[in-house]
Amino acid sequence: MLRGLEGRAPDSPPITGQVHPAQSPPMSWLSLPAGFRHPTRQRLWRALAALRLLLLAWLLAGPGGAVLAQPAGVVRVLDQARMLPGLARPEADWAGAPLVALPDAWAVSRPAQRGVVTYRLALTMPAGEPDGNRLYGLYVERACSVMAAQLNGQTVHEGGRFTEPVSRQCHRPQLVALPAALLRPGDNVLDLQVRGYALAEVSSRQRAGGLSAVEFGPWDAMAAHHARRLVFATRLPEVLSGALVLMGSFMFVMGWFNRAQSYLAYFGALMVSWSLLLARLWATDLPFANATTETGLAALMAFVTLAAVQFLMRYAKHRRRWLDLALPLQCLLMPATLLALGPQRLYLAAGAWYVLLSLQVLVAASFYLVQARRHRSRQFWTMAALLGVVSVSLLVELIAMGWNLDSRWLHVAQLVPALAFLALGLRLMQQYGRAFQTAEQNRAELEVRIREATAQIERNFAQLSELKVEQVTDRERKRIAADLHDDLGAKLLTIVHTSDDQRISTLAREALEEMRLSVRGLTGKPVKLNDALGDWRAEVVSRLSQSGVQGEWSAPPDEEVPQTLSSRAYVQTTRILREAVSNIIKHSGASQCSVRCTIDNGDFQLVVQDNGKGIPTELDGRLDKGHGMASMKGRAKQLQGQCLVESSPGYGTVIRLTLPLERHTTPR
Amino acid sequence: MVSRMNNILLLEDLPEIRAWLKSLVLQVFPHARITECSRVQDALLQVQSLRFDLALCDLGLPDGSGTDVVAKLRDVQPDAQSVVVTIHDDDEHLFPALQAGAYGYILKEQSRELITEQLQRISQGEPPLSPSIARKVIKYFASQNQPQANAMPAVSLTERESEVLLRVAKGFTLPEIGVQLGLSRHTIADYVKQIYRKLNVSSRAEAALEAQRLGLFRR
Repeated sequence: MLRGLEGRAPDSPPITGQVHPAQSPPMSWLSLPAGFRHPTRQRLWRALAALRLLLLAWLLAGPGGAVLAQPAGVVRVLDQARMLPGLARPEADWAGAPLVALPDAWAVSRPAQRGVVTYRLALTMPAGEPDGNRLYGLYVERACSVMAAQLNGQTVHEGGRFTEPVSRQCHRPQLVALPAALLRPGDNVLDLQVRGYALAEVSSRQRAGGLSAVEFGPWDAMAAHHARRLVFATRLPEVLSGALVLMGSFMFVMGWFNRAQSYLAYFGALMVSWSLLLARLWATDLPFANATTETGLAALMAFVTLAAVQFLMRYAKHRRRWLDLALPLQCLLMPATLLALGPQRLYLAAGAWYVLLSLQVLVAASFYLVQARRHRSRQFWTMAALLGVVSVSLLVELIAMGWNLDSRWLHVAQLVPALAFLALGLRLMQQYGRAFQTAEQNRAELEVRIREATAQIERNFAQLSELKVEQVTDRERKRIAADLHDDLGAKLLTIVHTSDDQRISTLAREALEEMRLSVRGLTGKPVKLNDALGDWRAEVVSRLSQSGVQGEWSAPPDEEVPQTLSSRAYVQTTRILREAVSNIIKHSGASQCSVRCTIDNGDFQLVVQDNGKGIPTELDGRLDKGHGMASMKGRAKQLQGQCLVESSPGYGTVIRLTLPLERHTTPR
Repeated sequence: MVSRMNNILLLEDLPEIRAWLKSLVLQVFPHARITECSRVQDALLQVQSLRFDLALCDLGLPDGSGTDVVAKLRDVQPDAQSVVVTIHDDDEHLFPALQAGAYGYILKEQSRELITEQLQRISQGEPPLSPSIARKVIKYFASQNQPQANAMPAVSLTERESEVLLRVAKGFTLPEIGVQLGLSRHTIADYVKQIYRKLNVSSRAEAALEAQRLGLFRR
């Protein structure tokens, strides 16, 4: 294998083919269409999560490929060094210094070791090197907590502060530029000073002192390698920290103001605290001593646990009062025990607490999943996957507490929960947004319904008051009508039937009829012209036949008479017709009479014709009274119609009554 | 069929009119014994104690409506004929009286001759039926026959009776209808009497049902 010829990359992934990084993504994308085939939201989310994991896997696989892509040049791995405690002077006795293998983890090799240690590495240049035109580089995967380097007695690198607060670069790979001018052909001496802490003093094995194997090679190869590792070690954690803080604060505020969705607040708190936790990977220079920082980091885990457990319980809609008390108490208790046990027992105490806290989270997660399953929640599988991933990451971190693990596993374990939180956060936001939308929609619908109901009520009220007015008016009209009938009517009637004078009797009867007309005008409803024709026919025909006059009646068929008459028009026409028939019976001496009703151009015409002796013209003025022609004409005029009388002695009489229908019909 | 009207109840509150009516009735039925009342309560008492062949009842009386007397008479003396004598010519006043069992109506302000003739006709079994009353009767039975929740005893008009009513409503006189339908004057008069009877029966059934329903509600 090519790699073998060029040197061994200690962290290259165990892939067997020579796969260029650009070739691996297409393989990853291949699995995606399965998720998009059924474009339900659930699947989309799963596909997104899968995509993210694949992207992570590809980035992790990247460095392996990068080794192949580096330009020609020999990369040498320096995995042996002599070691002297303290800042070794150049004149120090190196002959007696012990030879140690790199990587050198103090936790394993010298558990009590703390402070500064100097490693001396032998750097032998092959023939033809150093090439004066090239820049060389030194890649140190892990120098915990801070490192300085000298090449042949010349300082070439200072990683940070060696005194408290000591720079924290345990998680950050370092790159040292070595100018060719400083390199001698043949043997060179490389001194690496490392300041670190004993395992007991830190809360994680990853931050116990130590030095990894050192790689030496051309600058560009080393820089490329360093850049790739830096992405996972520092850049991604930085980005994720930022994203978590932003989204977490947002959700916290949202949950804070919507107490019904308090789980949002806890999830926000979880995200923010997790972003603080991620800061341990990239924050190198903190203004606190190591003991303070480590205790703080450990104590942060208690808060993370609080947020996680509360979120899970509340998301499962099972709020427990005692948890509201117990978890904050635990947040106080944990740092208290850590402080009580002292910085020298931090690792043990923190480890025990980590196990306890992880158990709590696992129990809460299981509880949530059981509840979700029982309620057949649609979130079950999404949540199960996310919680599974987070749990596995937790497990990996716990294992890393006890044993040294490959850094790539650790990177995954550190980054995956953050990604899972972001995914879950998006999901929660989506749910919240949809719930909000639904609520808004319901509110809008409700508003519309309220408006409709209000309009309905107003309409009803208007109708009701209208009805009320109508009822009152109607009642009052009826009362007046009854009074008129009972008092005035009775008196007029008495006059009609008791007066000896025929004229007074007739006048009283006319007055009675006038009163009827008024009452009818008061109470009368519009009359269908059809019904009116029926009434008139019955009266005219029966009166004529009683008087021995042969009557003839003609009227248009029912379907041609859809109009209605106002009660006033009905009554007046009745009077005119009655008067006309009375004249025929009393005065004309006719043997035949015909009444024709027609409707023409919106005019109603009534023609009463007899074959009697007619109205004598010379007696017109005197007879008029008896014949009532004037009152007939007057009534017709009142209705905006006219009444024409044609008569000549011996040729009978024709009375033409014409009424404009529009004015006297009541639209229906 | 000419009924003998021996005992006649005359209910009218105005003394002059009552006297005038009395003279008129005596003119038609010279041997009749006339019991005069001016109040509904008096008339109801008389109806309880005396047997009448004919009752002439005014509608608007100081202590109530003559309709009550008509209804009472229908109850206790079904053979007696009630005739409404009134100043009201509108169906709103007349129809309830006809429903209560009145057998006809006479408008008071009509001339003596006309009233005499009408009275004769009624007593001979030819009650009057105006177009507007006929229309009201048609409407009433149409609403009765509508499929409704209440289980009304089925009182409905025969086809012939409906035919007669329709023609009356159109303004045809009873003799004319007889000619049109090829029936005798008496047959037509019988139809009209049937219509009056059915109107009364149906109204009573309806009233009973209404009372029952109100009773149920009150319980």
